[in-house]
Amino acid sequence: MKALALAIVALVGGLLISATVDFPDWGDPASPAALHVSPRYIEKTMEDTSVPNIVTSVLADYRGFDTMFETTVVFTAGVACFLLLRRREPRPGPSRVYRHRASGVIVEMSQAPDTEPAPEVFKRIDDDWTPHDLIVMNVCRLLIPFIQLFGLYVIAHGHHSPGGGFQGGVILGASVILLALSWDLRTASLRMREVATGLMSAIGVFIYAGVGALALAMGGNFLDYAALAPILMVDPVAARSLGIFFVEVGVGLAVMATMVLIYKNLASEGRLDQGL
Amino acid sequence: MNLAVTIILGVGLVFFLGGAVGILRFPDFYSRLHPAGKMDTLGSFLMLGALALYHLHPFTLDNVLVAIKIALIVVFYFLASPTATHAIVDAGIRAGQAAWQKPKQGAGS
Repeated sequence: MKALALAIVALVGGLLISATVDFPDWGDPASPAALHVSPRYIEKTMEDTSVPNIVTSVLADYRGFDTMFETTVVFTAGVACFLLLRRREPRPGPSRVYRHRASGVIVEMSQAPDTEPAPEVFKRIDDDWTPHDLIVMNVCRLLIPFIQLFGLYVIAHGHHSPGGGFQGGVILGASVILLALSWDLRTASLRMREVATGLMSAIGVFIYAGVGALALAMGGNFLDYAALAPILMVDPVAARSLGIFFVEVGVGLAVMATMVLIYKNLASEGRLDQGL
Repeated sequence: MNLAVTIILGVGLVFFLGGAVGILRFPDFYSRLHPAGKMDTLGSFLMLGALALYHLHPFTLDNVLVAIKIALIVVFYFLASPTATHAIVDAGIRAGQAAWQKPKQGAGS
């Protein structure tokens, strides 16, 4: 059986390797990929969309339909994580641990209290809580606003430099995850609630598809941003540049919210009450 | 100007080399993090500083902006890298990792 498997693997591998001989040379200007559409994108991008970054214009304009469904894939991943992992029943075992803020005394309750104690007096902590490190907490608190600012810059500056909705969304999502790691999951959840993550990831996809549908309603093709020129009160070329920006914002929202949603569900075993 | 940039780059490279050797040669977890945290921070400070200096050469607004961006990278690296090293050491202590002690004479390794 093993010999048969090895023979099949060797045969398929040999076929694949022999097929690589037919590949065009690395960087060959006469290869089919470099002959047909690439020169058009390279020469016409500035004229068509006034976006200096060709990658962005191909991603969000020439092939915007593809990117719309990439965003949908991200959204679907978030929804799948939510449906598979989210649990409503409370955690078994010793259910609530609180720390008295003034004295530092830790109180463990064997069952959940009917009413939560006043949060200014008792702070709820995780079951396996260890004192947080002051340096890590405060440096992260200092850095997170700058990380988020950089994430916004990456989204908005995708026209001119490497970047765009996916990258900026990941940076924004990572800043919230950093807050959850360095403080705790409840602190991060106060900043970005579960409802917000779900809504924002859906709204991101909706913005993308909505811009496309708006172009359709204005008489152009789906995702043909030039048709939005009368609404935006600019010429069609600038409208395409602005349309790329709108869909990048949608992508950024969807990616950020989905990352936070997946992280929260994974870190807290789907209960969103405590975790890393 | 180019000479100064080259010298600073070279000094930064020496620190990186020291960090790499330290990570390989030190005996345990904590002492290996010591070069990883310190040498990399200082080495990247020197090298990025040299690159910022190099970019100032035709003194125009664009080049100054690039230099300022590099300087910002240095600032954030200075904050983030030692903190990350500290967090790793902290996690090691909480997980009960014992620190290395010099073996007594004749007691073997």
